[in-house]
Amino acid sequence: MSRSLAVVPHLVRMYVRTRLEYRGAMLLAWFAQALSYAATYTAIALLLLRFGNLGGWTWSEMALLLSFHLLAYSLGASLSFTQFRDIEEKVRLGTLDAVLIKPVSPWVYLVFSGLNIGYAGHIILAVGLMAWAVTEVAVDWSILTALYFVAGLLSAAMVTAAIMTMIGATALVWVRSKHLFSIFFGFWELARYPLNIFPVPLQILMLTIAPLGFLAFVPVAVTLGRPVPLLGDWAALTSLLAGPLAVTLGALHWRHCIQNYQGAGG
Amino acid sequence: MAIIAASSVEKIFRQPKRQSGFGGALRSLFSREHTEVRAVDGISFAIEGGEAAGYLGPNGAGKSTMIKMMTGILVPSSGTVEVLGREPHSNRITNAAEIGVVFGQRSQLWWDLPVRDSFDLNRHIYDIPASRFADNLARLTSMLDMAGYIDRPVRQLSLGQRMRAEIAMALLHDPKILFLDEPTIGLDVVAKDVVRKFLAEVNRERGTTIILTTHDLVDIEEICPRLIMVDDGKLLFDGELRHLRTALGSRRRLKLEFGTDPGAITLKTAQLVTDEGLAKHFLLESQQTSILDVLTELGSGHDLKDVKLEEPNIEEVIRTFYQNKPALAGARP
Repeated sequence: MSRSLAVVPHLVRMYVRTRLEYRGAMLLAWFAQALSYAATYTAIALLLLRFGNLGGWTWSEMALLLSFHLLAYSLGASLSFTQFRDIEEKVRLGTLDAVLIKPVSPWVYLVFSGLNIGYAGHIILAVGLMAWAVTEVAVDWSILTALYFVAGLLSAAMVTAAIMTMIGATALVWVRSKHLFSIFFGFWELARYPLNIFPVPLQILMLTIAPLGFLAFVPVAVTLGRPVPLLGDWAALTSLLAGPLAVTLGALHWRHCIQNYQGAGG
Repeated sequence: MAIIAASSVEKIFRQPKRQSGFGGALRSLFSREHTEVRAVDGISFAIEGGEAAGYLGPNGAGKSTMIKMMTGILVPSSGTVEVLGREPHSNRITNAAEIGVVFGQRSQLWWDLPVRDSFDLNRHIYDIPASRFADNLARLTSMLDMAGYIDRPVRQLSLGQRMRAEIAMALLHDPKILFLDEPTIGLDVVAKDVVRKFLAEVNRERGTTIILTTHDLVDIEEICPRLIMVDDGKLLFDGELRHLRTALGSRRRLKLEFGTDPGAITLKTAQLVTDEGLAKHFLLESQQTSILDVLTELGSGHDLKDVKLEEPNIEEVIRTFYQNKPALAGARP
Protein backbone atom coordinates (compact mmCIF):
# COMPACT_ATOMS: atom_id res chain seq x y z
CA MET A 1 0.00 0.00 0.00
CA SER A 2 2.89 2.37 0.76
CA ARG A 3 4.11 2.03 -2.82
CA SER A 4 0.62 2.82 -4.09
CA LEU A 5 0.42 5.97 -1.96
CA ALA A 6 3.92 7.06 -2.97
CA VAL A 7 2.81 6.97 -6.60
CA VAL A 8 -0.18 9.29 -5.98
CA PRO A 9 1.61 12.66 -6.51
CA HIS A 10 3.19 11.36 -9.72
CA LEU A 11 -0.16 10.13 -11.05
CA VAL A 12 -1.82 13.45 -10.23
CA ARG A 13 1.00 15.37 -11.90
CA MET A 14 0.64 13.24 -15.05
CA TYR A 15 -3.13 13.78 -15.14
CA VAL A 16 -2.88 17.54 -14.61
CA ARG A 17 -0.26 17.77 -17.35
CA THR A 18 -2.61 15.84 -19.65
CA ARG A 19 -5.46 18.25 -18.90
CA LEU A 20 -3.19 21.24 -19.43
CA GLU A 21 -2.54 20.02 -22.97
CA TYR A 22 -6.06 21.29 -23.63
CA ARG A 23 -6.17 24.23 -21.20
CA GLY A 24 -8.65 26.32 -23.20
CA ALA A 25 -11.22 23.50 -23.15
CA MET A 26 -10.57 22.97 -19.44
CA LEU A 27 -11.19 26.62 -18.49
CA LEU A 28 -14.32 26.71 -20.64
CA ALA A 29 -15.63 23.56 -18.91
CA TRP A 30 -15.02 25.08 -15.45
CA PHE A 31 -16.88 28.24 -16.43
CA ALA A 32 -19.78 26.34 -18.06
CA GLN A 33 -20.25 24.04 -15.05
CA ALA A 34 -20.21 26.90 -12.55
CA LEU A 35 -22.65 28.89 -14.70
CA SER A 36 -24.99 25.91 -15.00
CA TYR A 37 -25.16 25.43 -11.21
CA ALA A 38 -25.46 29.19 -10.62
CA ALA A 39 -28.50 29.25 -12.93
CA THR A 40 -30.15 26.36 -11.04
CA TYR A 41 -29.49 28.02 -7.68
CA THR A 42 -30.79 31.35 -8.93
CA ALA A 43 -34.06 29.68 -9.88
CA ILE A 44 -34.33 28.09 -6.41
CA ALA A 45 -33.46 31.46 -4.76
CA LEU A 46 -36.14 33.29 -6.77
CA LEU A 47 -38.77 30.73 -5.79
CA LEU A 48 -37.82 30.90 -2.13
CA LEU A 49 -37.71 34.69 -2.07
CA ARG A 50 -41.18 34.68 -3.63
CA PHE A 51 -42.74 31.99 -1.38
CA GLY A 52 -40.68 32.52 1.81
CA ASN A 53 -39.48 28.98 2.56
CA LEU A 54 -39.30 25.38 1.41
CA GLY A 55 -40.34 22.85 4.05
CA GLY A 56 -39.55 25.52 6.64
CA TRP A 57 -36.12 26.31 5.20
CA THR A 58 -35.35 29.93 4.30
CA TRP A 59 -33.19 31.01 1.35
CA SER A 60 -30.02 31.44 3.47
CA GLU A 61 -30.51 27.96 4.98
CA MET A 62 -31.17 26.55 1.52
CA ALA A 63 -28.01 28.30 0.28
CA LEU A 64 -26.04 26.48 2.98
CA LEU A 65 -27.70 23.19 2.00
CA LEU A 66 -27.03 23.73 -1.71
CA SER A 67 -23.40 24.78 -1.19
CA PHE A 68 -22.77 21.84 1.17
CA HIS A 69 -24.38 19.50 -1.35
CA LEU A 70 -22.23 20.83 -4.20
CA LEU A 71 -18.98 20.94 -2.22
CA ALA A 72 -19.34 17.44 -0.71
CA TYR A 73 -20.32 16.05 -4.09
CA SER A 74 -17.43 17.80 -5.88
CA LEU A 75 -14.85 16.56 -3.37
CA GLY A 76 -16.11 12.99 -3.61
CA ALA A 77 -16.78 13.02 -7.35
CA SER A 78 -13.38 14.49 -8.24
CA LEU A 79 -11.98 11.25 -6.81
CA SER A 80 -14.48 8.99 -8.43
CA PHE A 81 -17.06 10.11 -10.98
CA THR A 82 -15.30 10.19 -14.34
CA GLN A 83 -12.93 7.43 -13.22
CA PHE A 84 -15.71 4.97 -12.38
CA ARG A 85 -18.10 6.15 -15.08
CA ASP A 86 -15.41 5.27 -17.64
CA ILE A 87 -14.52 1.93 -16.08
CA GLU A 88 -17.26 0.28 -18.16
CA GLU A 89 -15.45 1.40 -21.30
CA LYS A 90 -12.14 0.18 -19.89
CA VAL A 91 -13.63 -3.26 -19.20
CA ARG A 92 -15.24 -3.44 -22.63
CA LEU A 93 -12.07 -2.43 -24.49
CA GLY A 94 -9.80 -4.43 -22.19
CA THR A 95 -7.73 -1.39 -21.17
CA LEU A 96 -8.43 -2.14 -17.50
CA ASP A 97 -6.05 -5.10 -17.91
CA ALA A 98 -3.20 -2.60 -18.28
CA VAL A 99 -4.06 -1.25 -14.81
CA LEU A 100 -4.28 -4.70 -13.24
CA ILE A 101 -0.73 -5.62 -14.27
CA LYS A 102 0.82 -2.76 -12.32
CA PRO A 103 2.29 -3.36 -8.86
CA VAL A 104 0.01 -0.78 -7.23
CA SER A 105 -3.56 -0.78 -5.99
CA PRO A 106 -5.83 -0.56 -9.06
CA TRP A 107 -8.22 1.72 -7.11
CA VAL A 108 -5.44 4.16 -6.29
CA TYR A 109 -4.19 4.06 -9.87
CA LEU A 110 -7.62 4.63 -11.38
CA VAL A 111 -8.66 7.37 -8.95
CA PHE A 112 -5.48 9.44 -9.04
CA SER A 113 -4.62 8.94 -12.69
CA GLY A 114 -7.98 10.60 -13.37
CA LEU A 115 -8.28 12.99 -10.41
CA ASN A 116 -10.78 15.37 -11.89
CA ILE A 117 -9.61 18.95 -11.61
CA GLY A 118 -12.63 19.78 -13.76
CA TYR A 119 -14.55 20.15 -10.50
CA ALA A 120 -12.67 23.37 -9.69
CA GLY A 121 -15.59 25.41 -11.06
CA HIS A 122 -18.03 23.57 -8.78
CA ILE A 123 -15.78 24.02 -5.78
CA ILE A 124 -15.23 27.76 -6.35
CA LEU A 125 -18.99 28.33 -6.65
CA ALA A 126 -19.78 26.13 -3.63
CA VAL A 127 -17.18 27.76 -1.39
CA GLY A 128 -18.34 31.25 -2.41
CA LEU A 129 -22.00 30.45 -1.71
CA MET A 130 -21.11 28.70 1.54
CA ALA A 131 -19.00 31.65 2.73
CA TRP A 132 -22.04 33.90 2.29
CA ALA A 133 -24.54 31.39 3.77
CA VAL A 134 -22.61 30.66 7.01
CA THR A 135 -22.75 34.35 7.89
CA GLU A 136 -26.48 34.58 7.11
CA VAL A 137 -27.89 31.54 8.91
CA ALA A 138 -28.90 31.65 12.57
CA VAL A 139 -26.17 29.36 13.87
CA ASP A 140 -24.13 30.06 16.98
CA TRP A 141 -20.80 28.88 15.51
CA SER A 142 -18.46 27.27 18.01
CA ILE A 143 -15.33 25.17 17.48
CA LEU A 144 -17.37 22.03 18.04
CA THR A 145 -20.02 23.10 15.52
CA ALA A 146 -17.35 24.00 12.97
CA LEU A 147 -15.54 20.70 13.53
CA TYR A 148 -18.79 18.78 13.11
CA PHE A 149 -19.56 20.77 9.94
CA VAL A 150 -16.17 19.93 8.38
CA ALA A 151 -16.31 16.29 9.52
CA GLY A 152 -19.84 16.00 8.10
CA LEU A 153 -18.57 17.44 4.83
CA LEU A 154 -15.77 14.87 4.62
CA SER A 155 -18.16 12.07 5.55
CA ALA A 156 -20.55 13.20 2.81
CA ALA A 157 -17.69 13.32 0.28
CA MET A 158 -16.80 9.76 1.32
CA VAL A 159 -20.40 8.65 0.73
CA THR A 160 -20.21 10.06 -2.82
CA ALA A 161 -16.86 8.44 -3.63
CA ALA A 162 -17.92 5.11 -2.10
CA ILE A 163 -21.20 4.91 -4.03
CA MET A 164 -19.45 5.79 -7.28
CA THR A 165 -16.76 3.19 -6.58
CA MET A 166 -19.47 0.58 -6.00
CA ILE A 167 -21.27 1.50 -9.22
CA GLY A 168 -18.03 1.43 -11.22
CA ALA A 169 -16.88 -1.82 -9.61
CA THR A 170 -20.11 -3.46 -10.71
CA ALA A 171 -18.93 -3.06 -14.31
CA LEU A 172 -16.06 -5.43 -13.51
CA VAL A 173 -18.59 -8.21 -13.18
CA TRP A 174 -21.56 -7.01 -15.25
CA VAL A 175 -19.46 -5.16 -17.89
CA ARG A 176 -22.13 -2.44 -18.03
CA SER A 177 -23.05 -0.29 -15.04
CA LYS A 178 -23.47 3.24 -16.43
CA HIS A 179 -27.25 3.08 -16.01
CA LEU A 180 -26.71 2.92 -12.24
CA PHE A 181 -25.24 6.44 -12.40
CA SER A 182 -28.63 7.65 -13.72
CA ILE A 183 -30.26 6.26 -10.56
CA PHE A 184 -27.55 7.92 -8.46
CA PHE A 185 -28.12 11.31 -10.06
CA GLY A 186 -31.89 10.94 -9.62
CA PHE A 187 -31.44 10.74 -5.85
CA TRP A 188 -28.62 13.30 -6.02
CA GLU A 189 -31.08 15.86 -7.43
CA LEU A 190 -33.51 15.15 -4.58
CA ALA A 191 -30.70 15.49 -2.03
CA ARG A 192 -30.53 19.23 -2.80
CA TYR A 193 -33.79 19.77 -0.94
CA PRO A 194 -34.86 19.31 2.69
CA LEU A 195 -35.69 15.65 3.29
CA ASN A 196 -38.83 16.54 5.25
CA ILE A 197 -40.63 17.70 2.06
CA PHE A 198 -40.60 14.12 0.68
CA PRO A 199 -42.97 11.27 1.59
CA VAL A 200 -41.76 8.91 4.33
CA PRO A 201 -40.91 5.94 2.04
CA LEU A 202 -38.59 8.21 0.04
CA GLN A 203 -37.05 9.54 3.26
CA ILE A 204 -36.36 5.95 4.37
CA LEU A 205 -34.82 5.16 1.00
CA MET A 206 -32.54 8.19 1.14
CA LEU A 207 -31.26 7.30 4.59
CA THR A 208 -30.68 3.61 3.85
CA ILE A 209 -30.01 1.98 0.48
CA ALA A 210 -29.63 5.27 -1.43
CA PRO A 211 -28.03 7.21 1.44
CA LEU A 212 -27.79 10.58 -0.27
CA GLY A 213 -29.74 12.14 2.60
CA PHE A 214 -26.31 12.18 4.26
CA LEU A 215 -24.79 14.07 1.34
CA ALA A 216 -26.12 17.41 2.64
CA PHE A 217 -29.48 17.40 4.41
CA VAL A 218 -28.60 15.50 7.60
CA PRO A 219 -25.32 17.34 8.43
CA VAL A 220 -26.73 20.74 7.48
CA ALA A 221 -29.96 20.16 9.44
CA VAL A 222 -27.88 19.12 12.50
CA THR A 223 -25.74 22.26 12.12
CA LEU A 224 -28.83 24.46 11.84
CA GLY A 225 -30.49 22.69 14.77
CA ARG A 226 -33.40 21.60 12.62
CA PRO A 227 -35.21 18.29 13.22
CA VAL A 228 -34.12 15.32 11.12
CA PRO A 229 -36.94 12.92 10.26
CA LEU A 230 -36.49 9.25 11.27
CA LEU A 231 -33.04 9.80 12.81
CA GLY A 232 -33.88 12.35 15.49
CA ASP A 233 -31.06 12.64 18.06
CA TRP A 234 -28.99 10.05 16.19
CA ALA A 235 -28.63 12.34 13.19
CA ALA A 236 -25.26 13.87 14.17
CA LEU A 237 -23.61 10.53 14.91
CA THR A 238 -25.04 8.72 11.88
CA SER A 239 -24.00 11.53 9.53
CA LEU A 240 -20.40 11.14 10.75
CA LEU A 241 -20.52 7.34 10.51
CA ALA A 242 -22.19 7.25 7.09
CA GLY A 243 -18.96 8.09 5.22
CA PRO A 244 -16.66 5.53 6.87
CA LEU A 245 -19.40 2.87 6.66
CA ALA A 246 -19.98 3.57 2.95
CA VAL A 247 -16.21 3.46 2.32
CA THR A 248 -15.95 0.09 4.10
CA LEU A 249 -18.80 -1.34 2.03
CA GLY A 250 -17.36 0.22 -1.12
CA ALA A 251 -13.93 -1.31 -0.44
CA LEU A 252 -15.44 -4.76 0.15
CA HIS A 253 -17.52 -4.51 -3.01
CA TRP A 254 -14.50 -3.33 -5.03
CA ARG A 255 -12.40 -6.19 -3.70
CA HIS A 256 -15.12 -8.72 -4.51
CA CYS A 257 -15.54 -7.38 -8.05
CA ILE A 258 -11.78 -7.29 -8.75
CA GLN A 259 -11.57 -10.93 -7.62
CA ASN A 260 -14.43 -11.82 -9.95
CA TYR A 261 -13.29 -9.73 -12.90
CA GLN A 262 -13.89 -11.63 -16.12
CA GLY A 263 -13.05 -9.04 -18.74
CA ALA A 264 -15.30 -8.67 -21.73
CA GLY A 265 -13.64 -11.39 -23.76
CA GLY A 266 -10.59 -11.27 -26.05
CA MET B 1 13.62 -25.01 -12.37
CA ALA B 2 10.27 -24.03 -13.87
CA ILE B 3 9.39 -20.40 -13.22
CA ILE B 4 5.97 -20.80 -14.80
CA ALA B 5 3.93 -23.92 -14.14
CA ALA B 6 0.40 -24.50 -15.35
CA SER B 7 -1.33 -27.65 -14.21
CA SER B 8 -4.68 -28.77 -15.64
CA VAL B 9 -5.75 -25.14 -15.92
CA GLU B 10 -9.31 -24.41 -16.91
CA LYS B 11 -11.05 -21.11 -17.40
CA ILE B 12 -14.78 -21.20 -17.90
CA PHE B 13 -16.75 -18.07 -18.71
CA ARG B 14 -20.44 -18.17 -17.90
CA GLN B 15 -22.40 -16.15 -20.40
CA PRO B 16 -26.13 -15.47 -20.56
CA LYS B 17 -27.84 -17.37 -23.37
CA ARG B 18 -28.83 -14.93 -26.11
CA GLN B 19 -31.93 -15.61 -28.17
CA SER B 20 -32.38 -14.20 -31.63
CA GLY B 21 -34.96 -11.61 -32.62
CA PHE B 22 -36.83 -8.98 -30.62
CA GLY B 23 -38.98 -11.58 -28.85
CA GLY B 24 -35.88 -13.52 -27.94
CA ALA B 25 -34.28 -10.39 -26.51
CA LEU B 26 -37.40 -9.78 -24.38
CA ARG B 27 -37.46 -13.42 -23.21
CA SER B 28 -33.78 -13.25 -22.27
CA LEU B 29 -34.63 -10.43 -19.85
CA PHE B 30 -36.45 -12.97 -17.72
CA SER B 31 -34.43 -16.04 -18.60
CA ARG B 32 -31.71 -17.33 -16.27
CA GLU B 33 -30.20 -19.64 -18.88
CA HIS B 34 -26.45 -19.50 -19.29
CA THR B 35 -23.93 -21.15 -21.52
CA GLU B 36 -20.47 -22.10 -20.38
CA VAL B 37 -17.57 -21.15 -22.61
CA ARG B 38 -14.46 -23.19 -21.88
CA ALA B 39 -11.75 -20.74 -22.95
CA VAL B 40 -8.91 -22.78 -21.45
CA ASP B 41 -9.46 -26.50 -21.16
CA GLY B 42 -7.09 -28.54 -19.00
CA ILE B 43 -3.82 -27.00 -20.12
CA SER B 44 -0.54 -28.00 -18.47
CA PHE B 45 2.99 -26.84 -19.23
CA ALA B 46 6.14 -25.72 -17.47
CA ILE B 47 8.50 -23.00 -18.63
CA GLU B 48 12.07 -22.77 -17.40
CA GLY B 49 13.84 -19.51 -16.61
CA GLY B 50 15.44 -17.98 -19.71
CA GLU B 51 13.17 -19.81 -22.16
CA ALA B 52 11.31 -18.08 -24.98
CA ALA B 53 7.98 -19.71 -25.71
CA GLY B 54 5.44 -18.77 -28.30
CA TYR B 55 1.77 -19.36 -27.56
CA LEU B 56 0.09 -19.88 -30.90
CA GLY B 57 -3.49 -20.43 -31.88
CA PRO B 58 -6.34 -19.01 -33.94
CA ASN B 59 -8.76 -16.37 -32.67
CA GLY B 60 -10.69 -17.58 -29.65
CA ALA B 61 -8.19 -20.34 -28.87
CA GLY B 62 -7.70 -19.05 -25.31
CA LYS B 63 -4.27 -17.45 -25.75
CA SER B 64 -5.06 -14.10 -24.15
CA THR B 65 -7.03 -15.78 -21.37
CA MET B 66 -3.98 -17.86 -20.48
CA ILE B 67 -1.76 -14.76 -20.46
CA LYS B 68 -4.31 -13.01 -18.21
CA MET B 69 -4.20 -15.91 -15.75
CA MET B 70 -0.39 -15.91 -15.70
CA THR B 71 -0.31 -12.16 -15.08
CA GLY B 72 -2.89 -12.34 -12.28
CA ILE B 73 -5.69 -10.50 -14.11
CA LEU B 74 -8.00 -13.52 -14.19
CA VAL B 75 -8.53 -16.32 -11.71
CA PRO B 76 -8.48 -19.90 -13.12
CA SER B 77 -11.76 -21.81 -12.76
CA SER B 78 -9.78 -24.93 -11.84
CA GLY B 79 -6.22 -26.19 -11.90
CA THR B 80 -3.23 -24.20 -10.76
CA VAL B 81 -1.00 -21.54 -12.26
CA GLU B 82 2.28 -20.67 -10.58
CA VAL B 83 4.55 -17.85 -11.67
CA LEU B 84 7.88 -17.44 -9.87
CA GLY B 85 6.58 -19.82 -7.22
CA ARG B 86 3.44 -17.80 -6.52
CA GLU B 87 -0.22 -17.94 -7.42
CA PRO B 88 -0.51 -14.84 -9.64
CA HIS B 89 -4.08 -13.76 -8.85
CA SER B 90 -3.72 -13.96 -5.07
CA ASN B 91 -0.30 -12.24 -5.19
CA ARG B 92 -1.13 -9.89 -8.03
CA ILE B 93 0.87 -6.87 -6.88
CA THR B 94 3.99 -8.86 -5.89
CA ASN B 95 3.78 -10.78 -9.15
CA ALA B 96 3.33 -7.58 -11.16
CA ALA B 97 6.57 -6.14 -9.76
CA GLU B 98 8.57 -9.02 -11.24
CA ILE B 99 6.98 -9.33 -14.65
CA GLY B 100 6.58 -7.07 -17.65
CA VAL B 101 3.50 -7.15 -19.85
CA VAL B 102 2.96 -5.74 -23.33
CA PHE B 103 -0.47 -5.72 -24.95
CA GLY B 104 -0.20 -5.31 -28.71
CA GLN B 105 -3.60 -3.69 -28.95
CA ARG B 106 -3.81 -1.80 -25.63
CA SER B 107 -1.37 0.97 -24.99
CA GLN B 108 0.04 1.59 -21.53
CA LEU B 109 1.60 4.89 -22.56
CA TRP B 110 -0.02 8.24 -21.70
CA TRP B 111 -1.50 9.34 -25.01
CA ASP B 112 -1.10 13.11 -24.68
CA LEU B 113 2.29 13.20 -22.97
CA PRO B 114 5.83 12.56 -24.21
CA VAL B 115 7.02 8.94 -24.06
CA ARG B 116 9.64 9.91 -21.48
CA ASP B 117 6.88 10.93 -19.00
CA SER B 118 5.30 7.46 -19.11
CA PHE B 119 8.72 5.92 -18.54
CA ASP B 120 9.31 8.24 -15.61
CA LEU B 121 5.96 7.30 -14.06
CA ASN B 122 6.94 3.64 -14.30
CA ARG B 123 10.15 4.45 -12.42
CA HIS B 124 7.97 5.43 -9.46
CA ILE B 125 5.41 2.65 -9.92
CA TYR B 126 8.13 -0.03 -9.95
CA ASP B 127 10.34 1.83 -7.48
CA ILE B 128 13.37 1.61 -9.77
CA PRO B 129 16.55 3.15 -8.31
CA ALA B 130 17.52 6.29 -10.28
CA SER B 131 20.89 4.99 -11.51
CA ARG B 132 19.45 1.66 -12.71
CA PHE B 133 16.61 3.51 -14.40
CA ALA B 134 19.04 5.83 -16.19
CA ASP B 135 21.19 2.90 -17.37
CA ASN B 136 18.21 0.88 -18.58
CA LEU B 137 16.64 3.87 -20.30
CA ALA B 138 19.88 4.67 -22.13
CA ARG B 139 20.35 1.04 -23.18
CA LEU B 140 16.78 0.56 -24.36
CA THR B 141 16.71 3.94 -26.13
CA SER B 142 19.79 2.93 -28.06
CA MET B 143 18.72 -0.65 -28.80
CA LEU B 144 15.25 0.36 -29.95
CA ASP B 145 16.37 3.56 -31.66
CA MET B 146 13.97 5.75 -29.67
CA ALA B 147 16.14 8.88 -29.28
CA GLY B 148 14.34 10.65 -32.12
CA TYR B 149 10.90 10.43 -30.56
CA ILE B 150 11.23 9.84 -26.82
CA ASP B 151 10.29 13.48 -26.14
CA ARG B 152 7.31 13.51 -28.49
CA PRO B 153 3.71 12.98 -27.35
CA VAL B 154 2.59 9.38 -27.82
CA ARG B 155 -0.32 10.50 -30.04
CA GLN B 156 2.21 11.67 -32.67
CA LEU B 157 4.02 8.33 -32.95
CA SER B 158 3.65 5.68 -35.62
CA LEU B 159 2.42 2.26 -34.52
CA GLY B 160 5.92 0.82 -34.87
CA GLN B 161 7.45 3.58 -32.73
CA ARG B 162 4.72 3.16 -30.15
CA MET B 163 5.23 -0.59 -29.93
CA ARG B 164 8.96 -0.13 -29.41
CA ALA B 165 8.17 2.32 -26.61
CA GLU B 166 5.65 -0.12 -25.06
CA ILE B 167 8.26 -2.90 -25.04
CA ALA B 168 10.92 -0.59 -23.59
CA MET B 169 8.53 0.50 -20.84
CA ALA B 170 7.81 -3.11 -19.92
CA LEU B 171 11.55 -3.79 -19.56
CA LEU B 172 12.65 -0.71 -17.58
CA HIS B 173 12.33 -2.51 -14.24
CA ASP B 174 14.29 -5.60 -15.42
CA PRO B 175 11.40 -8.06 -15.19
CA LYS B 176 12.23 -11.75 -14.88
CA ILE B 177 9.46 -12.64 -17.30
CA LEU B 178 8.15 -10.63 -20.23
CA PHE B 179 4.63 -11.46 -21.42
CA LEU B 180 3.66 -10.11 -24.82
CA ASP B 181 0.14 -10.40 -26.17
CA GLU B 182 0.40 -10.13 -29.96
CA PRO B 183 3.29 -7.66 -30.00
CA THR B 184 3.63 -7.50 -33.78
CA ILE B 185 -0.03 -7.15 -34.69
CA GLY B 186 -0.60 -4.40 -37.23
CA LEU B 187 3.10 -3.58 -37.64
CA ASP B 188 4.72 -3.23 -41.05
CA VAL B 189 7.44 -5.64 -42.16
CA VAL B 190 10.33 -3.42 -41.04
CA ALA B 191 8.82 -2.69 -37.62
CA LYS B 192 8.07 -6.39 -37.09
CA ASP B 193 11.65 -7.24 -37.88
CA VAL B 194 12.99 -4.68 -35.38
CA VAL B 195 10.70 -5.98 -32.63
CA ARG B 196 11.55 -9.63 -33.32
CA LYS B 197 15.31 -9.06 -33.38
CA PHE B 198 15.15 -7.01 -30.19
CA LEU B 199 13.09 -9.60 -28.30
CA ALA B 200 15.37 -12.42 -29.42
CA GLU B 201 18.35 -10.40 -28.19
CA VAL B 202 16.74 -9.60 -24.82
CA ASN B 203 16.05 -13.30 -24.34
CA ARG B 204 19.50 -14.38 -25.46
CA GLU B 205 21.67 -11.68 -23.89
CA ARG B 206 19.78 -10.79 -20.69
CA GLY B 207 18.16 -14.15 -20.02
CA THR B 208 14.69 -12.63 -19.73
CA THR B 209 12.04 -15.32 -20.05
CA ILE B 210 9.66 -14.47 -22.88
CA ILE B 211 6.12 -15.72 -23.39
CA LEU B 212 4.34 -14.31 -26.37
CA THR B 213 1.04 -14.95 -28.02
CA THR B 214 0.80 -14.48 -31.73
CA HIS B 215 -0.95 -15.41 -34.93
CA ASP B 216 2.26 -14.92 -36.83
CA LEU B 217 4.50 -17.95 -37.14
CA VAL B 218 7.47 -15.83 -38.10
CA ASP B 219 7.36 -14.36 -34.55
CA ILE B 220 7.77 -17.88 -33.24
CA GLU B 221 10.46 -18.85 -35.75
CA GLU B 222 12.58 -15.79 -34.98
CA ILE B 223 12.04 -15.38 -31.24
CA CYS B 224 10.89 -18.62 -29.68
CA PRO B 225 12.57 -22.00 -29.98
CA ARG B 226 9.59 -23.46 -28.17
CA LEU B 227 6.05 -23.50 -29.45
CA ILE B 228 2.90 -24.07 -27.42
CA MET B 229 0.00 -24.50 -29.78
CA VAL B 230 -3.61 -24.36 -28.65
CA ASP B 231 -7.03 -24.55 -30.16
CA ASP B 232 -10.49 -24.46 -28.58
CA GLY B 233 -8.72 -24.00 -25.26
CA LYS B 234 -6.89 -27.32 -25.56
CA LEU B 235 -3.17 -27.96 -25.88
CA LEU B 236 -2.30 -29.32 -29.32
CA PHE B 237 1.46 -29.22 -29.28
CA ASP B 238 4.24 -28.27 -26.89
CA GLY B 239 7.78 -28.56 -28.13
CA GLU B 240 10.31 -27.26 -30.55
CA LEU B 241 8.98 -25.75 -33.73
CA ARG B 242 11.08 -28.10 -35.87
CA HIS B 243 9.28 -31.08 -34.34
CA LEU B 244 5.86 -29.71 -35.17
CA ARG B 245 5.76 -31.12 -38.69
CA THR B 246 6.34 -34.64 -37.41
CA ALA B 247 3.90 -34.21 -34.56
CA LEU B 248 1.17 -33.09 -36.89
CA GLY B 249 1.89 -35.97 -39.27
CA SER B 250 2.81 -33.74 -42.19
CA ARG B 251 4.81 -35.33 -44.97
CA ARG B 252 7.62 -34.14 -47.18
CA ARG B 253 6.84 -33.56 -50.81
CA LEU B 254 9.00 -35.07 -53.58
CA LYS B 255 8.91 -33.91 -57.20
CA LEU B 256 10.41 -36.10 -59.93
CA GLU B 257 10.88 -34.61 -63.42
CA PHE B 258 11.43 -36.87 -66.42
CA GLY B 259 12.73 -36.27 -69.97
CA THR B 260 9.97 -38.49 -71.37
CA ASP B 261 6.72 -39.53 -69.70
CA PRO B 262 7.43 -42.87 -67.96
CA GLY B 263 3.70 -43.61 -67.51
CA ALA B 264 2.16 -44.57 -64.18
CA ILE B 265 4.59 -45.13 -61.34
CA THR B 266 3.69 -46.83 -58.07
CA LEU B 267 6.11 -46.81 -55.14
CA LYS B 268 6.04 -48.27 -51.61
CA THR B 269 8.16 -45.48 -50.14
CA ALA B 270 6.14 -42.57 -51.57
CA GLN B 271 2.54 -41.92 -52.44
CA LEU B 272 1.74 -40.36 -55.81
CA VAL B 273 -0.47 -37.28 -55.36
CA THR B 274 -0.27 -35.51 -58.74
CA ASP B 275 0.72 -36.88 -62.11
CA GLU B 276 1.52 -34.26 -64.76
CA GLY B 277 3.15 -36.71 -67.14
CA LEU B 278 6.69 -35.35 -67.22
CA ALA B 279 6.42 -34.22 -63.56
CA LYS B 280 5.14 -36.45 -60.78
CA HIS B 281 4.50 -35.31 -57.20
CA PHE B 282 4.82 -37.73 -54.29
CA LEU B 283 4.40 -37.52 -50.54
CA LEU B 284 7.04 -39.41 -48.56
CA GLU B 285 5.39 -41.89 -46.23
CA SER B 286 7.93 -41.68 -43.43
CA GLN B 287 10.42 -39.19 -41.97
CA GLN B 288 13.01 -41.97 -42.23
CA THR B 289 12.59 -42.36 -45.99
CA SER B 290 15.45 -40.74 -47.90
CA ILE B 291 15.64 -39.68 -51.54
CA LEU B 292 18.04 -42.54 -52.05
CA ASP B 293 15.38 -45.02 -50.85
CA VAL B 294 12.92 -43.62 -53.40
CA LEU B 295 15.42 -43.58 -56.24
CA THR B 296 16.52 -47.12 -55.41
CA GLU B 297 12.94 -48.31 -55.54
CA LEU B 298 12.31 -46.34 -58.75
CA GLY B 299 15.28 -47.98 -60.43
CA SER B 300 16.99 -46.82 -63.63
CA GLY B 301 15.69 -46.43 -67.17
CA HIS B 302 13.07 -43.75 -66.54
CA ASP B 303 14.96 -40.82 -68.13
CA LEU B 304 14.92 -39.00 -64.75
CA LYS B 305 16.06 -35.36 -65.20
CA ASP B 306 15.59 -33.72 -61.81
CA VAL B 307 14.61 -34.46 -58.22
CA LYS B 308 13.28 -31.89 -55.73
CA LEU B 309 12.49 -32.56 -52.05
CA GLU B 310 10.43 -29.94 -50.23
CA GLU B 311 9.89 -29.64 -46.49
CA PRO B 312 6.26 -28.69 -45.90
CA ASN B 313 5.76 -25.00 -45.25
CA ILE B 314 5.04 -24.66 -41.54
CA GLU B 315 2.19 -22.22 -42.05
CA GLU B 316 0.62 -24.60 -44.55
CA VAL B 317 1.04 -27.48 -42.09
CA ILE B 318 -0.78 -25.59 -39.37
CA ARG B 319 -3.48 -24.35 -41.71
CA THR B 320 -4.06 -27.86 -43.00
CA PHE B 321 -4.10 -29.11 -39.43
CA TYR B 322 -6.78 -26.67 -38.32
CA GLN B 323 -8.83 -27.32 -41.48
CA ASN B 324 -8.69 -31.08 -41.00
CA LYS B 325 -9.01 -31.10 -37.23
CA PRO B 326 -11.67 -33.82 -37.00
CA ALA B 327 -9.59 -36.21 -39.10
CA LEU B 328 -6.39 -35.39 -37.28
CA ALA B 329 -7.83 -35.19 -33.79
CA GLY B 330 -5.54 -37.99 -32.65
CA ALA B 331 -2.35 -36.12 -33.52
CA ARG B 332 -0.53 -35.24 -30.34
CA PRO B 333 3.13 -34.66 -29.61
